[in-house]
Amino acid sequence: MSILKKMLSIITYQENTSREGFVLEETADDRQTGQKAGTSPERKAAGEYGEPEAVHGREERAPAGRRSFKKPVRPLNKAGDKSQKIKNSSTEGRQADQVSSQAKGEPLINELSVSSSLAKNRETIEELYGLPDNKDIIVRDIVIGTNPEIDGFLVYVDGLVDKSVQDLLIQALIIFAARPAPQDKGKLALYVKERLLPGNQVSTQSRFRDILDAVNYGDTALFLEGCAEAVLVETKGWEHRAVEKPVIEQILRGPQEAFGETLRTNTALVRKIIKNENLTTELLKVGARNRVNVAVMYLRDVANPSLVAEVKRRIESIKTDFIVDAGMLEEFIQDSPYNLNPTILATERPDRAAASIVEGRVAIIADGSPFALIVPATMYEMLQTSEDVYSRWQLGTFIRYLRILALYISFLAPGVYLSVVLFHHEMIPTELLLAIAGNRERVPFPSVIEVLLMEISFELIREAGLRIPGIMGTTIGIIGALILGQASVQANIVSPILVILVAITGLSSFVIPYFSLAFTLRIYRFIYIILGTTMGFFGIALGLFSQIILTANLKSFGVPYLAPTGPRTVGGADVVTRLPVFFHEKRPDYLNPREIIRQPDISRGWLKQKDGGKDN
Amino acid sequence: MVKIIKEGTFGPGEAIILLGISNIARIFLSYPRSLVEIGGSAAWMTPLGGLAAALAGIYLMSLVLKKSPGSTIIEITEMVFGPFIGMAVNILIIAHILEMGGALFIREFSEAMLITTLRFAPISVIDAVFLAMGLLGAYLGIEALARTARLIYPYILGGLIILIFTLIPFWNFHNLLPVFGKGPKEVFLLGTYSTAGIAEIIIAGVIVQAMGGAEIFARIGYRSMLIGFAFLIITLAVLVLTYNWPISEEFTLPFLRLARTIYLGRFIQRLEAIFILVWVFVGALKIALLLYGAAVSLARSLKLPDYRPLIWPLGLAMFILGLLPLDMLAAIKLDIVYLRSFVLIPNYLLPLLILAVFWFKGRRERAGS
Repeated sequence: MSILKKMLSIITYQENTSREGFVLEETADDRQTGQKAGTSPERKAAGEYGEPEAVHGREERAPAGRRSFKKPVRPLNKAGDKSQKIKNSSTEGRQADQVSSQAKGEPLINELSVSSSLAKNRETIEELYGLPDNKDIIVRDIVIGTNPEIDGFLVYVDGLVDKSVQDLLIQALIIFAARPAPQDKGKLALYVKERLLPGNQVSTQSRFRDILDAVNYGDTALFLEGCAEAVLVETKGWEHRAVEKPVIEQILRGPQEAFGETLRTNTALVRKIIKNENLTTELLKVGARNRVNVAVMYLRDVANPSLVAEVKRRIESIKTDFIVDAGMLEEFIQDSPYNLNPTILATERPDRAAASIVEGRVAIIADGSPFALIVPATMYEMLQTSEDVYSRWQLGTFIRYLRILALYISFLAPGVYLSVVLFHHEMIPTELLLAIAGNRERVPFPSVIEVLLMEISFELIREAGLRIPGIMGTTIGIIGALILGQASVQANIVSPILVILVAITGLSSFVIPYFSLAFTLRIYRFIYIILGTTMGFFGIALGLFSQIILTANLKSFGVPYLAPTGPRTVGGADVVTRLPVFFHEKRPDYLNPREIIRQPDISRGWLKQKDGGKDN
Repeated sequence: MVKIIKEGTFGPGEAIILLGISNIARIFLSYPRSLVEIGGSAAWMTPLGGLAAALAGIYLMSLVLKKSPGSTIIEITEMVFGPFIGMAVNILIIAHILEMGGALFIREFSEAMLITTLRFAPISVIDAVFLAMGLLGAYLGIEALARTARLIYPYILGGLIILIFTLIPFWNFHNLLPVFGKGPKEVFLLGTYSTAGIAEIIIAGVIVQAMGGAEIFARIGYRSMLIGFAFLIITLAVLVLTYNWPISEEFTLPFLRLARTIYLGRFIQRLEAIFILVWVFVGALKIALLLYGAAVSLARSLKLPDYRPLIWPLGLAMFILGLLPLDMLAAIKLDIVYLRSFVLIPNYLLPLLILAVFWFKGRRERAGS
């Protein structure tokens, strides 16, 4: 019966509710200019009825957001209206914990509060942490040297805390605390926090959930007899990598710092660049088991508020047990997970993240990941590097055009070669045709087998070069490629022209600065090989048309993926052609930032002074 | 009128380009040849009358659409003729013509592909590939199509400009004489009749809401018509200039012939394969737009909440209808005799009729008051 029902559900029409994607709202300024230009009546109506109506109006006409090959069952789709869903989403993370803990028959940790009885608190801690089996959780009894003395105990995770800070803390409590204790034991925690402790961040908490989160993150918790609150002292101090040079996004000119695995260091690296009080870092927790802190960074007075709200909504709604890297988070929050193209930009460079934040984007940094996710991201940004702006503008522009050429070569070259060789001989000048034919004369395979052989070996070498440990990896890769190319030509397995072709294609794919996009193009290349072999240029055209229309349809957090060319918006001075920095007067229009002006029309004041001559 | 179908929106620039590209699709087929037959050496003048008619058609359609801002031609027809006759008119005239147009375009583009590159491929395979592109485009919707048109038009424009400039050495201006070719009557009367039949006016009427409403409809329409007809005129002029008109009459695909003629030294010659890309892009966009138009107009007529379930059956019907003509000649004949004449009804007659009904209603109301 169920099979019959399933089959019926396949062939009967069901409205696809998931097509209403998030659309980045235009700011009030944009709407006004839009109205002046004479836009649709709906848009006008939306403007008249204020913001909520405008949102509604937009949603009705909203373009199809994400079209999924298979409709994923999303919690938000299941029940309830939209506003309720958004309201609920903030509490969903906690509910996930409850569900998982209930399933195991554990007490509801979220409901547990600190008791005023020290023994009971200790019992709870032992139960929650599974002591004494759990060996790296340290519970240390102390007696605070006040008058009268107060019993208490410290809880911390060995290895996550800084021993020297810990020593200072214990000294302060046991030796230097010789002063009268307050009568009201309920205020003990506050008293300890304000009078006794030298730690740099001290707080009091009464819920075990918050206390355990802090302890698991390297803080030390102090429980006191008679007090229903615990004191949390910041003692983080685990082993970590220092700030190092970028590995993937290397540049010649510009800062040479990269993100590390520690969240606070990463946020500080960004803040070090943007010295502005409007830079906001919000922390969200993701992952029911490992409870990773995810920082959402943006400029309060620049970023579009609905974009920030959408980013937070997506992150808060994630229900999963384990997230360790930004890559996993990326898959959870991106718009079109089934499309090959990445719609979120990951960068290991704090300067790039900072530049994006100043443009009005939002950076998402997950604890433990040396990559920041930048949203929204367009394809043009994935073809840019920070160096384009740091070096002189002529060089930046030239390199970008070179990259665009590389983009096309990297996925089209083998497919086009095959279609020319197999279908369109007339295109090749006679001499070249004879040269190719002469080379291919002794090769026993059809062209397509040749191309596939070489492409697959090239991919193997690349992958192997990456996995071979140490510095010999790249060397072996290059030597392998040379030997393979040379030997295969001598053995008459492939023709020399093909080795050149595959080498140029490989080089081009290395030119693409964003590795996720380069991977995408590698996969596309194989599709074009098949299309070129079966249908020649007609197949290539089929592939290009489908790829263009699918890519043009993508959105990254409400922003079209091919903006500002598809759809056409105000171009700006930094898309492909990189104009000199003093022409970068506006932020990208498609981001709809709160403040679009970056600098006045005449940003080089010295020019004005000289021309006016009055100041001299 | 409650808007039932969710469509995307796009700017006027994208709308102009989308309709313009859709309009120039016919220059890649054997259509220019039939105009050379009509006009002779004055073939380039034949679309002038059609252009005037098309501009008038856009004006009429804009007048109709302004009667009820917020609706499309489908809802207005129903409003004017009542639910039953209105629905019949919508389905039998508008949805039908778009569907048939799509079917014939699939067939003609597939035949053109067979002639140009894939000589031994079965027609059904090429048909199916075009259909697949059309289905994908129509499924993703008008917004994606408009964006795609906006992204690829520099290549189409560039290709045509390269074609024009590289053929300059072959031009002979004497080919344009006599000025009026086979006579003003043929050039202007017959020329107008056979060039005024374009599907874009009615498509624009169907997708008017996605383009930004009735207010800017006329502006978009005029410009897209100018673009489309300008390309047709230029192609015809280049064709007659390069080969004179008696020879041009012989070409099955005049555009292919022109591309094949390119010779810039020994290294750069016979670039027709590159034009296949332009060709397929334009063809796929046109087919996707027609399929989308057919599906949306049918869904709107039947008051369905979504057009997408209709795409597959309509696409399949297009595929089968496209395969029905016996050969390419039969398909071209159907195009010229049936489609180009029939499309005049929704383009020009229907708006006139609607305006007349509005006028009568208004008069009766004035008389009543």
